[in-house]
Amino acid sequence: MEDFEPNIIGFLCNWCSYAGADLAGTSRIQYSHNVKVIRVMCSGRVNPMFVINALQQGADGVLIGGCHPGDCHYQHGNYLARRRISVMKKLLEFMGINPERVKMTWVSAAEGRKFADVVDEVTAEIKKLGPNTKIRRKNEW
Amino acid sequence: MVDQKKLVEVAKETLARKDVKYIIGYKKGSYGFQTSAAFAYTPKDVEQFIFTPLCNKNLAKYPLKEEKLPLKRGEEEDKRKIGIVVKGCDSRAITQIIQENGMNREEVVLLGIPCPGVINQKEIEKRFPNQSEITEINEINDEYVFTIEGKEHKIPKQELLAEVCKTCDYPNPVLYDVMIGEEVEVNPKEEYEGIKELEEASLEDRWEYWEEQFQSCIRCYACREACPLCYCSTCMADLLEPQWIRRSVNLSENTAWNIMRAFHLAGRCINCGACENACPMDIPLMELNKKLGKEVKEMFEYTPGLDIDAKPLLGSFNPDDPEEFIK
Repeated sequence: MEDFEPNIIGFLCNWCSYAGADLAGTSRIQYSHNVKVIRVMCSGRVNPMFVINALQQGADGVLIGGCHPGDCHYQHGNYLARRRISVMKKLLEFMGINPERVKMTWVSAAEGRKFADVVDEVTAEIKKLGPNTKIRRKNEW
Repeated sequence: MVDQKKLVEVAKETLARKDVKYIIGYKKGSYGFQTSAAFAYTPKDVEQFIFTPLCNKNLAKYPLKEEKLPLKRGEEEDKRKIGIVVKGCDSRAITQIIQENGMNREEVVLLGIPCPGVINQKEIEKRFPNQSEITEINEINDEYVFTIEGKEHKIPKQELLAEVCKTCDYPNPVLYDVMIGEEVEVNPKEEYEGIKELEEASLEDRWEYWEEQFQSCIRCYACREACPLCYCSTCMADLLEPQWIRRSVNLSENTAWNIMRAFHLAGRCINCGACENACPMDIPLMELNKKLGKEVKEMFEYTPGLDIDAKPLLGSFNPDDPEEFIK
């Protein structure tokens, strides 16, 4: 388990979190390489089925990044995402899939340092949880 | 019990209205403990309407699934209303559909029936297997009375009552045009008893339980077809581009489907139990729905299907929603 490197899919919103990740890069901040970023236009774009599909296809965790409440480029996309993901986490928990595999964060475009910290933290936590085996798709051919 | 004569009488009156096209109600099934939907276009059709403890189907979906053929030239759209016989849960389903703009209030005439609770179809079929003759069941003094092969059976109501009816908070229709009979008494009940045990189990035990359930799912989508609120013209599960769920029947895809179904009913499910009743593999789908209903009530103080002017839960927000899970 020591050398387990988790696979984390990051759905980052174009206007805040993605720009924050960009800033972390241009500022040469060192952080874990486990998050694979998928850019979405808004955290409200993240269909909770994206999360399930990511977990099915081999992700050990999912990180959803959006703008701070009130700062959404589309007025209230992040508020809607918050409701959806909180309900989805409750459902996963009831089904026995650890809801801690689904993380959500608010990172603004100016918070490169915060992004790096969040990624480090999330990676450490998911490392502790170990590989996701529960709803993973088995390619049996 | 609902007075059958009154039901037929009211249905006839409603059908006589010029703006009513037909009425959907219940009639005797073709065998055993079944009842089926009846579509009454003429007063004679109305005669076959019944309401017994076996009327456990949810009729709310039928007006939505009506086939609308393209109009011929010069032909005008038939804008007459559709009458539906509704129990408490059916009326909530219709309220929820109207709230989501699935249909207009003006499109339907609701004949409300205060529901004393319906029978658990699976339970009674388990107790009396191979019963092929049509059996009528009457509720007399908290007992279900019926005759099979000349022998009279009396079974206490609680033994056969559907699980959802035991915890039903809204047996009286919340939305109706005509009410048939007296409103029944609502007893405050301890809710969600079925899921308590699971909630207290550990994560691993819960997964073990659901793994076993979902392993047996054959993905017939009967739960979807029976559900009054699964009325999308194209279901996400049927899409090929993008293909959200693969067609193969295995644990991963079955779990994904069941997560999707439950999630799409979060804040919408009105606890009619149609999905569980329809499931051929006896998966306890209502446990998922009830759990989400409970969480939604706790987190957002929201109960679906009560107010046609309310906003759908996941289509609205409150800046003060809980966010302790966000970093």
